[in-house]
Amino acid sequence: MKKSALELREVTKIFQKGREVVRAVDTVNLTVEQGELVTFLGPSGCGKTTTLRMVAGFELPTGGSITIQGKDMTNTPVNKREIGFVFQNYALFPHMSVFNNVAYGLKSRGEKDADIRPKVIEALKLVGLQNTENRYPSQLSGGEQQRVALARVIVMEPNLLLMDEPLSNLDAKLRLHMRTEIRKIQKKLGITCLYVTHDQSEALTMADRIVVMNKGKVEQIGTPFEIYSNPQSLFVADFIGHANIVKLEVASLSQESITAKIPGGTSFTAKALKPDVYSATEVLYHVGKSAALIVRPESIQVGAAQEGEGIFPATVVSSIFVGSHIEYELLLKNNATIHASVPFSTGMEIYGEEASVSLTFDEQNSAFLPA
Amino acid sequence: MHETNAFRPTRKSLMKTDPALFSALVAVWLSFAIFIFLPVIRLLITTFYVDGIFSLANMRKVLGTSYNIKALYGSLILATSVSIAGTFLGYIFALAVTRTALPRPLKVLLGAVTILPLISPPFTSSISLTLALGPNGMLLKALGIGDFSIYGFLGTWISETLTYFPVAFMVISAILNTMSATLDDAALSLGASRWRMFTTITIPLSLPGIGNSILLLFGASLADFATPLILGGHTFPVLPTEAYLMITGMFDLRGGATLSFLLLVPALLVFFLQRMLLGNKSFVSVTGKNGARTEFAKLPTALSVFICAVCLFIVAFILYLYAIILWGSFVKVWSVNNTFTLEHYAYVFKHGQKAISDTLLIAFLSTVIGSVLAVVIGYVAQRKQFFGKRFFEFTSMLNYALPGTVVGIAYIIAFNQKPILLTGTLSILVAAYVFRYYATGIRSVIASLEQIDPALEEASMSLGASSVRTFTHVTIPLIIPAVLAGMRYLFIHCMTAISATIFLVSVRWTLLTTRILESMTELQFSQASAFSMVLIVIVFLADALMLYLLKVTTSKFHKPQEISYEKVGA
Repeated sequence: MKKSALELREVTKIFQKGREVVRAVDTVNLTVEQGELVTFLGPSGCGKTTTLRMVAGFELPTGGSITIQGKDMTNTPVNKREIGFVFQNYALFPHMSVFNNVAYGLKSRGEKDADIRPKVIEALKLVGLQNTENRYPSQLSGGEQQRVALARVIVMEPNLLLMDEPLSNLDAKLRLHMRTEIRKIQKKLGITCLYVTHDQSEALTMADRIVVMNKGKVEQIGTPFEIYSNPQSLFVADFIGHANIVKLEVASLSQESITAKIPGGTSFTAKALKPDVYSATEVLYHVGKSAALIVRPESIQVGAAQEGEGIFPATVVSSIFVGSHIEYELLLKNNATIHASVPFSTGMEIYGEEASVSLTFDEQNSAFLPA
Repeated sequence: MHETNAFRPTRKSLMKTDPALFSALVAVWLSFAIFIFLPVIRLLITTFYVDGIFSLANMRKVLGTSYNIKALYGSLILATSVSIAGTFLGYIFALAVTRTALPRPLKVLLGAVTILPLISPPFTSSISLTLALGPNGMLLKALGIGDFSIYGFLGTWISETLTYFPVAFMVISAILNTMSATLDDAALSLGASRWRMFTTITIPLSLPGIGNSILLLFGASLADFATPLILGGHTFPVLPTEAYLMITGMFDLRGGATLSFLLLVPALLVFFLQRMLLGNKSFVSVTGKNGARTEFAKLPTALSVFICAVCLFIVAFILYLYAIILWGSFVKVWSVNNTFTLEHYAYVFKHGQKAISDTLLIAFLSTVIGSVLAVVIGYVAQRKQFFGKRFFEFTSMLNYALPGTVVGIAYIIAFNQKPILLTGTLSILVAAYVFRYYATGIRSVIASLEQIDPALEEASMSLGASSVRTFTHVTIPLIIPAVLAGMRYLFIHCMTAISATIFLVSVRWTLLTTRILESMTELQFSQASAFSMVLIVIVFLADALMLYLLKVTTSKFHKPQEISYEKVGA
């Protein structure tokens, strides 16, 4: 049987802040396969960085186990784990040249100088930094420092590449470029990678799988597509793609779908999601009670006021033209706020403040979650 | 801690998880036990135990003497006056350097002159004040004043203020420099006059520096021993000199110990107040953010003129005093026979050679040992978590917080009997210096580590380096400037201090500072001046060497680091 690159079992970290006990990471389970790039996504303080630091060995878990390449490493010190860690601020040694930074790990390992040189040159070439060996970190730009930090860990051929918000200190344009660069190198080397970020578009574009965390717990694990289209909780729906969450009264139920009453209108039917955290027999929805409709801003059409099946009457609060799109803020008849993002084409009508409009939600891209 | 333990039933001992830290802690605690706790405890026992039982008899006896009460009042009044006057002068100098349009060379001169009292032995200003304003004083003659005595409160106060105001200058100019200049701009743009800006922005924001400076100077003056010994006279006794005289003159160890206990209480109070005021922030190191920064707005003209006038007067006076010492060391008999002669220097190099080489050896050993300890303690205190850390930090600073006289008396009590018989040896002098003056080193190491991202050490560990390799290859190279800065002040202190070591010198090991004191008490002013000049030159050269090393090691990867320090109880 193939070994998993990494296995986390019931990993928990508890901090003591004065008299308060904080469960920074709460019973996290995760299996990462060889060559996978898994991102940890969540708001700040959700425990994603702490989890990464426990995998690295900078922190020891309060409970649970961490297995790397089939070996239990829960209490192994960091310098015996053979992992590579890329820091948010790069943590390049300011008193060493680029060459000595990249060679640092190989020297610590006791490799011969003759072996070190070609490896360092090769690693620098891989990240696109030829001929910078003799420069010092302070003489490099942010993007170049980032590349040196990457070269410094991949030269070690680590079991695991751990990255802690590595792009957050770069400007927007460079960030986009480095995303694809890192992904390319990771695929080329077939290296298993854990990547912490709070930027959802970074997670969606780079990851094989995403782990969404909130308040120390894993909310959902899945491919970017699964996370986006099939959120298992209101938190995930809101955090990924800023979905609108509207509470509606359930009119009727079927096995797979829910029909709910539209405030000031008819009814709307969409699939009913059943998150994994509930047992199979649990009844999640009840006729007459409310359910949360999840609909993304880009799945809403805004049209002239009219009546009809599945139409949501609404009033425009504001409309902003941003070039490719029109961003609407709208108010439903039950006073719920809705954000809609409508692709702009020439000749299209832009509705102004106070205008009455009707909204159509794309049924395929809408779903109900328990309120 | 209990709750954490509940979640971690198998808590491993520090010995297993971090053996290097464990052994370092054991070694350091052991040295604390011998050189910090033992002397203080022996001092307390000597004060409060008579014939093996707790007793206030010593205290009653000492406080029963009106002369001692007078000394207690004298100490407190002197310390208060010096701290106020010194802080005022320091503030004026700091304003002159940071907020006036004085030409740059003059500002450099102001800074340089304030360094002089810091690198001089504590007697310098007392000697020169005596030569200028004492009997047959040069300045008195020049001004035609006949009936004036420098001895007493006035002379002591002037001399200590001149000696310690540079400390206030350093502390306050550091805080004036780090203030944001945009606040000045904001105030002026909101229509405030320059006076209003000064009273509503500059002064309130510098209050922490003023408070810190007052406490530092209070402590320094309280502990100062050399100045009142020379200038106090019989009319103005203070505690450190009384304790000294009681022990060396009357051989009353119990009385001396009790007097020094009286000194210990206000000193510790000042120490605690200062820690409260500063919180966990360190004033030792101030890193200049040299980014885009606008100029500070200038002060109102009248104030500027006043400030510059005061500064120039003080600078002229200090230079005059040093010139007197220089001249005094080259004339036959001060004020009586002004023939040029080198005989005093000949005397110094003939009879003072041992004192010079002893002082250098002791200062060198103390600097090396003290720096190593400072690095270990500073690193452990800043980077590691362990049980009793706050107490550890407090203990490491204890000897520094106590007046030198207290430490000196505690050391002779503790180490003049078996099992640890050290009186008369080199080790007792070195130990006294190390555990008192490594404090500056510890603080600068801590301040420097605070600016070094722990991620650098984590990066090293994650690349497979051991914790020892990480320490030697990453941490040490990065804190070298801080270590050198600490060494610099450690060395200066060891060369110039007297208050603790006056009790510890012996026939076998003597110090330059004690030779100066001897010359003074024998009224050999010229010899004292020559000794002082030699000491100042040595310290100045050593200091220049250290500064050069500091510059060499602070190469391009190090941010410019400005490290000031507080000199307490020299």
